[in-house]
Amino acid sequence: MSTKTKILEKNGISKSPQASVWIRAFTSTSDWPDKEEFLDVIYWARQALGIILGIVWGLLPLEGFLGIMLFVLINAGVIYFYFSNFQNIDEEEYGGAWELTKEGFMTSFAGFLVTWIIIYSGLYHDVDKLST
Amino acid sequence: MWADTLLIVFISICTALLGEGLTWLMVYRTEKYQKLKAEVEKQSKKLEKRKETHGDLLDKQHKKKIEREEERLKNNNRDLSFVKMKSMFAIGFAFTALLSMFNSIFDGRVVARLPFEPLPWIQGLSHRNLPGEDYYDCSFIFCIFCVPCQYGRISRKCWVLHLPGLLPNKETAFLAQHRANLNNYNVYYLYKFC
Repeated sequence: MSTKTKILEKNGISKSPQASVWIRAFTSTSDWPDKEEFLDVIYWARQALGIILGIVWGLLPLEGFLGIMLFVLINAGVIYFYFSNFQNIDEEEYGGAWELTKEGFMTSFAGFLVTWIIIYSGLYHDVDKLST
Repeated sequence: MWADTLLIVFISICTALLGEGLTWLMVYRTEKYQKLKAEVEKQSKKLEKRKETHGDLLDKQHKKKIEREEERLKNNNRDLSFVKMKSMFAIGFAFTALLSMFNSIFDGRVVARLPFEPLPWIQGLSHRNLPGEDYYDCSFIFCIFCVPCQYGRISRKCWVLHLPGLLPNKETAFLAQHRANLNNYNVYYLYKFC
C-alpha cells in the first residue's frame, strides 16, 4: 500500500476514489467522508448566494429592513434545504443543524451588503445627489 | 459614483491581501509556526484516536495520560498565539497608516446611498464625518469595513490548521477559536481604527 493511501486512511478519508467536489456538491445524497470539505461547499454556496441576492436586490431595487430580512430567510432556508433534504447529511456529525445554518453566514451577509449597496446606489442615485 | 465605490472595494481587497501577505511573511512561512502547527495537528489526532479507542471506559492511568496530552496541546496552542502576536503589531501599524491616508482622501464624502436606514449603533460607522442628518448616506469607512470579512476562509484554507474528521469536539474547540482569531485580525484593526 502506498504511503499516500496510508495517510488518507489514517486521516479518516475513504479508500475508494471520490468524485470531484463539484460533482458531489450538485449530486443528491453524496458521500462526504471529509467533513471540512462539506463545510467548504456550504461556505462557498453561501457566498455565491449572498452576491447573487445582493445583485437582484440592487436591481429590483428592494429597500429597508425587508431586504435584509428576506436575505436572512432565503439564505438560511436554501442552505437548510440543501443539507437536510438534498444531501441528507447527519447534522449531529457537524454539531447540529444550527452550526451548519450559521456556517459562513456573516461573510455571506457582508458580501450581500457590499453588492446590494454598490448596485443600488450606482443605478438609482446619481453623482450630483451624493457628492455634497 | 460607480468609480468611488469600486475604488473603495478595490482598496479594501488590496489592504486585505496586503495583510495576508504580511502574515504569510511573518508567521505562516516561518519554521517555528510550521513546526508548532504540525505538532498541534499530530497531538490532536493522537488524542482523538486515544479517546476513540478507550471510549468512556478510562482507567486512572489513561485519564492522566489524556490530561497530560491536553495540557501539552494547550501549551502548544498558546505558543502559536505568541508567534502570531508580533505580526499583529506590524499589520496593525501598516493598516492604520494606510487607512489614515485613504481617510484623508474620502473624508466627508458620500460614496454610496444605503438602501436601508442603519441601526443607531452602526450609524457612527456608516455616517462617519458626513454632513447632514440623512443616515442613508454612506461614508467610505462602512464600505471598506465590509470587504475584508470575505477573505478569512481563503487564508484559513491555505495556511491555517486543517484537522479532517476532528470537528466539532471539546479538544479542537480552542483550535477553532485560534483559527478564527488568525482570520479576523484585519477586521479587528479596521474596527480599532474606526
